Amino acid sequence: MKEIIKIEELNKVYDTGAIQVHALQNVSVSIMEGEYVAIMGQSGSGKSTLMNILGCMDRQFQGTYLLDGIPIVDQGENDLSRIRNKKIGFVFQAFQLIPRTSALKNVEIPMIYGGMKAEERKIKANNLLEKVGLGERVHHMPNELSGGQKQRVAIARALANDPAIILADEPTGNLDSHSSHEIMDFFTKLNEEGATVIVVTHEEDIAQCTKRIIRFQDGQIVSDEKVVKEG
Amino acid sequence: MIFENLKLAMFSIRANKMRSFLTMLGMIIGISSVIAIVSLGDTMRSVVAGEYENFGTGLAGVYIMSPDDVYTDSNLFTKEDADQLKEAMGGELTYVGFRSSTRADVKAGRKTETVSLTGLAENPTEMKDPKIMYGRMLNDKDILEKKNFVVLDSTTAVNIFGQENVVGKTIKTTIQNQAEELLVIGVFQNTDSALMKLMNGGSVADAFVPESILLSENEYQWSLYFCMAEDQDMTQLQSRVVAYIARMKNQDLENIICNSAQQEMSSIDSMLASLSAVVGAIAAISLVVGGIGIMNIMLVSVTERTREIGIRKALGARTGDIMIQFLIEAAAISAAGGLIGTLLGISVVAIGGMIVGVGVVVKPSVVLIAVAFSAMVGLGFGLYPAKKAAKKDPVEALRYE
Repeated sequence: MKEIIKIEELNKVYDTGAIQVHALQNVSVSIMEGEYVAIMGQSGSGKSTLMNILGCMDRQFQGTYLLDGIPIVDQGENDLSRIRNKKIGFVFQAFQLIPRTSALKNVEIPMIYGGMKAEERKIKANNLLEKVGLGERVHHMPNELSGGQKQRVAIARALANDPAIILADEPTGNLDSHSSHEIMDFFTKLNEEGATVIVVTHEEDIAQCTKRIIRFQDGQIVSDEKVVKEG
Repeated sequence: MIFENLKLAMFSIRANKMRSFLTMLGMIIGISSVIAIVSLGDTMRSVVAGEYENFGTGLAGVYIMSPDDVYTDSNLFTKEDADQLKEAMGGELTYVGFRSSTRADVKAGRKTETVSLTGLAENPTEMKDPKIMYGRMLNDKDILEKKNFVVLDSTTAVNIFGQENVVGKTIKTTIQNQAEELLVIGVFQNTDSALMKLMNGGSVADAFVPESILLSENEYQWSLYFCMAEDQDMTQLQSRVVAYIARMKNQDLENIICNSAQQEMSSIDSMLASLSAVVGAIAAISLVVGGIGIMNIMLVSVTERTREIGIRKALGARTGDIMIQFLIEAAAISAAGGLIGTLLGISVVAIGGMIVGVGVVVKPSVVLIAVAFSAMVGLGFGLYPAKKAAKKDPVEALRYE
């Protein structure tokens, strides 16, 4: 098994002038290819900070972070953009679809920045939307879709460039329980197909859908254990 | 990628139609006024040039200035002087003589009209043939034989007789205190544009008569006219003519004042050119104002779309991608404004030209410069907002409400 994420002695300090907030303290963790992991913690526990670092959107940290073997701290801004584009599929709590832009176009965006040809990415975007069960709604605008549907478009978009990891930040935070289960089932299915999925959440039942739970408190890992499925 | 950005820009312009249009309005007004003003200047220049073309650009007039304001025979010209000069210069001068014109009351029936009569000398090469509508033009024979003939311009014909074809009719007038009766042998088309009339305060010539009936044989004339053959180095020939006249009339060289049509034309031309350049530059200031409008709206747009920028960055957009997206949007707004402004400017000039009855000159170079300038204004003023957009931190931008 390949080690897809390797973090060692990660520290992050927010310097707001008067006070220094130690958001992450000596965090070391490694995630293998094909794992299905939940990162849990209350707000302020440092899980969002970790999420931003894992997502290569924040490189102001101390320590080492290897994503698919690439050291992140040394990368330039444009190289980070490229890494995000190729290696990471984001799913956000607030869906983050571009307004007044069809589902299809939204799914195409990562492929546009990846430099894929127009016909090719159109076919792929259609296939991905088909896969998330929105084959009938490719031309719908985000405001014409329900919350669950929006999140499924976002998942299709996250899969666009066949990323090394899928990074979902509170993916069910804005959804009702029915849609939440739909989305989590979908992540489970993706993981069964071999995808590495990391879900950041504060909800216990969501975390229980995964196979491994890493708990955060005050910027430190307090527990890291496998989920024992009942039955 | 550029194509994708162009599509994005068009999409965003369409999504905010009213706002985009109002932003463009600054550019539209600026560009259309620059084009209208510069084209108006160019049109006037071409009208002036065309008017001189009718006279022949080789035409020049010369007179002898007296420093002490005492004018004697040696300051004036006779027919003999003219003939002598023509002989001395050989074929280089196609015509040497006097231009005579007078304003006279012309009567036909009970109607009286003031008309400017222009005398034509034999071999009248200094004047391009006017467009004859009826009858014929004066010829050398008419002039040598001092025929009481007249060729009227169509407008004057209508004013006097109420119709254009008046060949064979007679008009009564007074020339050199003598009542004369002139037979109309031709009518020429009045080609003077309304603009030219405005500038001249009237027509150039209403009627042509043989010069021989306007001038008496041995009269002294203030000024001598000559026409240089077109293939000559006119400046050089002109100075030789001046030198010859100085010797012939035994005068100082600096007292011989010579004005050629070409000089006059180029001085009017350069005056008009600098005038339209100055007014055009003032109009160009409005383009800067339009540019500021674009910058303002782009800043609003960048703030409004902070989240979109964050999403795009998270999904792999590089700094340059975001920058180009907003730059193209700004340039597209101003180029579209420039294009509409160009069309508006050209139509304003064209409609104006139609009203005044002048063929309009719109130089492609002016249009090209105006559109290029508007796109540059868009790029220039779009640069700061685009940079601001590109520099946004993705984490912050995604959290923006």
